[in-house]
Amino acid sequence: MSEDRTQYKYIGRSLPRVDSRAKATGQARFSADLSFPRMLVGKVLRSPYPHARILNIDVTRAKALPGVKAVITGQDTHGEKWGVFPYTRDMQMLQTEKVRYVGDEVAAVAAVDEDTALEALGLIRVDYDILPAVFTIDEALADDAPLVHEDHPRNRNVEVNIDVGEVDVALLGAYLVRTDTFTAPEDDYFMAEPYAVCARPDADGNIEVWCPNAGPHMKAKPLANVLKLPMSRVRVRKIAIGGAFGGRSEISPADFLCSLLALKTGRPVKIVYTREENTITVRQGHGMVVTHTTGMDREGRVAARSSTAHLDGGAYSSTGPIAVSVPFLCMEQTYRLENVRFHGVRVYTNKPVRGMIRIHGRAYACGVDMQLDMMAADLGLDPVDVRLKNARRPGETTATKSLVGSCGLVECIEKVVEKSGFREKYGRLPKWRGIGLGLNSVQTGFPLGIRGGSQAMIKFNEDGGVSVISGVVDNGQGNDQMIVQIAAEVLGVPPNEVDLITADTEVTANDPGSYSMVSTFAGGNAVRLAAEDARRQLFEVAADQLEANPADLVARDRKIFVKGSPQRGLALAKVVRLALIQGRPVMGQGSYSPRVDHGREWVSNPEGQLSEAFSFGATAAEVEVDPETGQVKVLNVVAAQDCGYALNPMVVEGQFEGSVAMGGQGGMLTEFHAWAGGHCLNPTQLDYQVPLAVDMPPITPIIVETIDPNGPYGAKEAGMSVAMSAAQAYACAVANAIGHYIKDFPLTPDKIVEAIRTRAPRAPREFGSGNLFDHVKK
Amino acid sequence: MPDAVVLDLVVNGESIQVLAPPHLTLLEVLREKLELTGAKEGCGEGACGSCTVLMDGRPIRSCLTLAVEAAGHPITTIEGLATEEGLHPVQEAFIQHGAIQCGFCTPGMILSAKALMDRNPQPAEADIREAIGANICRCTGYAKIVEAISSLSSNREDGHE
Ligand code: FES
Ligand code: FES
Repeated sequence: MSEDRTQYKYIGRSLPRVDSRAKATGQARFSADLSFPRMLVGKVLRSPYPHARILNIDVTRAKALPGVKAVITGQDTHGEKWGVFPYTRDMQMLQTEKVRYVGDEVAAVAAVDEDTALEALGLIRVDYDILPAVFTIDEALADDAPLVHEDHPRNRNVEVNIDVGEVDVALLGAYLVRTDTFTAPEDDYFMAEPYAVCARPDADGNIEVWCPNAGPHMKAKPLANVLKLPMSRVRVRKIAIGGAFGGRSEISPADFLCSLLALKTGRPVKIVYTREENTITVRQGHGMVVTHTTGMDREGRVAARSSTAHLDGGAYSSTGPIAVSVPFLCMEQTYRLENVRFHGVRVYTNKPVRGMIRIHGRAYACGVDMQLDMMAADLGLDPVDVRLKNARRPGETTATKSLVGSCGLVECIEKVVEKSGFREKYGRLPKWRGIGLGLNSVQTGFPLGIRGGSQAMIKFNEDGGVSVISGVVDNGQGNDQMIVQIAAEVLGVPPNEVDLITADTEVTANDPGSYSMVSTFAGGNAVRLAAEDARRQLFEVAADQLEANPADLVARDRKIFVKGSPQRGLALAKVVRLALIQGRPVMGQGSYSPRVDHGREWVSNPEGQLSEAFSFGATAAEVEVDPETGQVKVLNVVAAQDCGYALNPMVVEGQFEGSVAMGGQGGMLTEFHAWAGGHCLNPTQLDYQVPLAVDMPPITPIIVETIDPNGPYGAKEAGMSVAMSAAQAYACAVANAIGHYIKDFPLTPDKIVEAIRTRAPRAPREFGSGNLFDHVKK
Repeated sequence: MPDAVVLDLVVNGESIQVLAPPHLTLLEVLREKLELTGAKEGCGEGACGSCTVLMDGRPIRSCLTLAVEAAGHPITTIEGLATEEGLHPVQEAFIQHGAIQCGFCTPGMILSAKALMDRNPQPAEADIREAIGANICRCTGYAKIVEAISSLSSNREDGHE
């Protein structure tokens, strides 16, 4: 680590998280743990068909069942359609005309207990006219395909086109050109906590809502919209959240249904999803088909790339425009590209809705690195050298005109290569062993318009106690600790004495939420500024009393004193009280809006500053493949990321390690959804394989720090660059081990065995050896 | 619906009588009747381990155990681990080593770890991974969890780690 950590007392230290005690003792409350007097149980009736017209819904028998307090259908709603963007409003919270996937919401009930609620669902009679459906990208794009949404011909939902430089000319002039197609089916979050929501109405017409979220303010706004209530009446409260990974960003129909049932009955209502409901109806990762045509010069420099990506988006738009763009954007940040074209299309299918996920675009990113390996082999070049030649450097501008400030990608590569022994191992490992390298870069936020900035406040109690008020939410990654450490550092109080009031839309001000990796950058900066504002006020009061210059004061150990003479000081509590008695009470305020180009728009104008800072990561993975069974044993993983500055190295390492599990181990070896007729065949943890403790390899996390000039204490984002680069490293490592590039991910045993047994393996064992098939024949 | 029966349970050292229909799982009784919500329902079908509690000192999946089966057998939930003297060493180790992220898996994970340490105070890393092999954690990649449990091994100081 590069930064001198001694200048800070709390920042940059591996302090245990403030939220961990409640979680270790079982006292932390998650949404499903809540209960209130007179609380009802809510349940949702879902479509059994992938595509059908709703002819009639008869709820009379359900309503008549004793214990049932409310039954709602689309007729009870305003019919409002939700969409992340004004041009993607296509999803009703309860369908009124059509159902578009198996699981689409049709009706909901609230009853005195679960058994009664379930019985009531069985008494609702829905008459459907079953329609032909589309389940794959090809089916959806066919000339005569049935339409999921009638106003979207050929089921084309969102298209993004980017064309920079002279791609065709550069491809013609390139020394080597390759075209490869990479595919990956849907993957999934499998956050530990199944979705649950509790809603409680009060006598004044307000509604309180507790639910897993990646930004309470981002929940409250759409919820207010669909309920047709002012935002001040919808109060999304703080609650412990069992993971998000991109899957808790949007409003869920459950939030709306639970709130509406509560308003209708005047009683608290709780809806708890089963694991299967969580998988099917929250969000999933997109299935993707990607074709990269890449031209390279003799030395391994990428001259041009033209990529097309087709994304299976499922029944509704969700974050579609972002989802189409991000795979391209991560790669344009990672690698220099002067001539680049991207054509991305998200199509509707009659399958569950897809959103952003931690390793969004695995087919795209793994395709880029795998193809670089293929081309390096064709040219007899070292894959590390090829990456270094094309890797992003600080001060450069991406193809779509984002200036990259701090960038430690080269340092990440060098450290990972050294620590993993990549150069000594590549091409020299024993049979069936391989090593691979992946690089990635992610954003710290997007242009989010009026919701892009975060505001924070600091208030004091008369005993000197500090409260931080911030909209930042913690879904598990440690955002609460991040806020506490920053406030503690600035104000000179121990972190465990900082009181947190966060993620509650009644009291906290605007915040963009924790998705798009922006929490530390926007929320952390806002808290830092608020604390500095409070400290400035404290110093003014103290300076008068101490007859000192405010600029000479420091805040440490609950005291404010003249730098260098701790005896010339006052207790923080004393300063707070002085301020109160002097009629100038201290209240700190801060806000931070990342400097991005608000003219940039995903579809209409994909150009301009996307994010104020970018983080970069490199991962190397070494694997051993059993050629008989196709099982991959991962021997070692080294993951480095330029996170700007590690505010808490232990927390950052935890993000890296979790990222390797989800991105590499799960994302590249076992995780995918299988389908039949629009039904998900593996919606539970019994059949969708997430990594277990016994599966995980040793991981060496390497924190690279570039001290971003605009991040709080130089911090950017932690973890996601590793999740992505780990997937890429795993993919390349398996290819290196088996001598064949499998282009359909994840790399499950069946594909590996088939590749070894039936196809001409083409991956090199040794670059430049010219003897590519050698080891397999032996 | 079947008639409720009286269950004599011993939970966290306390004898409790609960009136509940016999089809309720131990997890349902703990969470809904006794308001002990530390045990979580992550799947309800034995796959995730988030509902793990100790019965006769052994980790079990309370979502697959009927409450009637638990009658008479001492049950320990996460709420019963800390004493007046403070947290259980496993809890403390999880906190100090950063083994807790979202915390949803944590109660089950800690109880599995405690059961391991009780029967094998010097577990090798492979023993630890096996002991928590049925507790899914989606956040941590298990590294810090394994570190936390290893730190408790009575072997450590002797350099046998
Ligand atoms: S809830 Fe019992 S194992 Fe998942
Ligand atoms: S800490 Fe989130 S599942 Fe383990």
